[in-house]
Amino acid sequence: MSTTVSNAAVSNLPTALVPGVLALLPRYASIEDPVADVRAACLTAVAALGPRVLVRASGESGAQVGRALLEAVGVDETPDAASATGVLVVGNGTAKRTEKAPGHLDERAEAFDAAVAADPYAVDAALAEELWADVGAFDALPGAIGEAEVLLDAAPFGVQYWVALWR
Amino acid sequence: MTLKLGRQAFGDDEALMMAIVNRTPDSFFDKGATWAEDAAFERVATVVEQGAEIVDIGGIKAAPGVEIGPEEEKARVVDFVARVRETYPDLVISVDTWRAEVGAAVCAAGADVLNDAWGGADPELVDVAAQYDAAIICTHTGGVTPRTRPYRLEYDDVVASTIHDTLAYAERALAAGVSRESIVIDPAHDFGKNTFQSLEVTRRIGEMVATGWPVLVSLSNKDFVGETLGLEVGERLLGTLAATSVCALAGARIYRVHQVPETRQTVDMVWTIAGRRPPLRAIRGIQ
Repeated sequence: MSTTVSNAAVSNLPTALVPGVLALLPRYASIEDPVADVRAACLTAVAALGPRVLVRASGESGAQVGRALLEAVGVDETPDAASATGVLVVGNGTAKRTEKAPGHLDERAEAFDAAVAADPYAVDAALAEELWADVGAFDALPGAIGEAEVLLDAAPFGVQYWVALWR
Repeated sequence: MTLKLGRQAFGDDEALMMAIVNRTPDSFFDKGATWAEDAAFERVATVVEQGAEIVDIGGIKAAPGVEIGPEEEKARVVDFVARVRETYPDLVISVDTWRAEVGAAVCAAGADVLNDAWGGADPELVDVAAQYDAAIICTHTGGVTPRTRPYRLEYDDVVASTIHDTLAYAERALAAGVSRESIVIDPAHDFGKNTFQSLEVTRRIGEMVATGWPVLVSLSNKDFVGETLGLEVGERLLGTLAATSVCALAGARIYRVHQVPETRQTVDMVWTIAGRRPPLRAIRGIQ
């Protein structure tokens, strides 16, 4: 297991993991929220992070989702690990869990997601890319997802989501 | 502007379905299908189930025909309005009439809207609307007598005339005491207009919307659709919906229709393209 510097720097803070679901963004709102349960779990998790939250995401897409959730809860983003009251990690498992998944079914996806949940630091980056998994910021998680308070563990659209909270 | 139709108010982002309910033996589309009171009542139940916010009850067909006096018109609509009101306390009830005497009787029986398809032929209709706090639909007919067909009517600019006359009517309603948010304008397709003129009004409906008054369009299965496509009554739904799309994109607020679900689907789609309504449930590509 390898623990990165960024993880070591913030691992004592409350940390939440949410998926980078673009449907959570206000500009993609529907009349009927297709991700109501995911949204509710995300807001619950983010609300436990205190008033100044450090967002960790693999890219701008996930960062946007993180900021939108902070805004929805009414807390501020901070770039400063020293003054942060919590950490929001944005990422999710594979997008190839079912035939209707964005990346269609890949038989390896389920095992990959199980392995990531058990050890988020020992990710096979090449396989992650092949399976459309967004795990680039998982080095900022404090530990295994199974050890956290798991608010949601599901793949409703063929994409593996976890909403988890380390208090 | 918020739209207040009698007992109901609607926000700016809402497009409304006004379902036609004929208490006539001879209207062009249904040819008397709802002439019997129970059949008309069944029609109301159907369109309410289909989600229409408004029913427009009429006792006289628009085209020329047997003269129907105010007593006969009242006999056809007043008790019926009362019955609909009793069963559907929240439904917006409109009555298609140009007569103040009939307007007063239906408002007393529970009507919310007076749909004056004949452009203010009876000057006292606005006073009735004001007295009962009812809404009024101000239409353009080019000054023709009720229940006459257009014959060689020409305008320098049909849209300018339509806007001028409907706004003058709206101002007259306002002066009579009708609430500003209860006044709607309607270009009245085919009324005092040949097909070319109705098509131009459709093409330029955005100019009416730009006046700021809420716009009602009554396109359903009309002759301008039939003549444009060479189709008889009963074959004009697709043409009607194409015209509906054009009006919806421009922002017309109320759609007076025979076919509620088809029109609702069309307007919802266009309203969403226009950015005034979100998709019902979109997840594709954003999971």
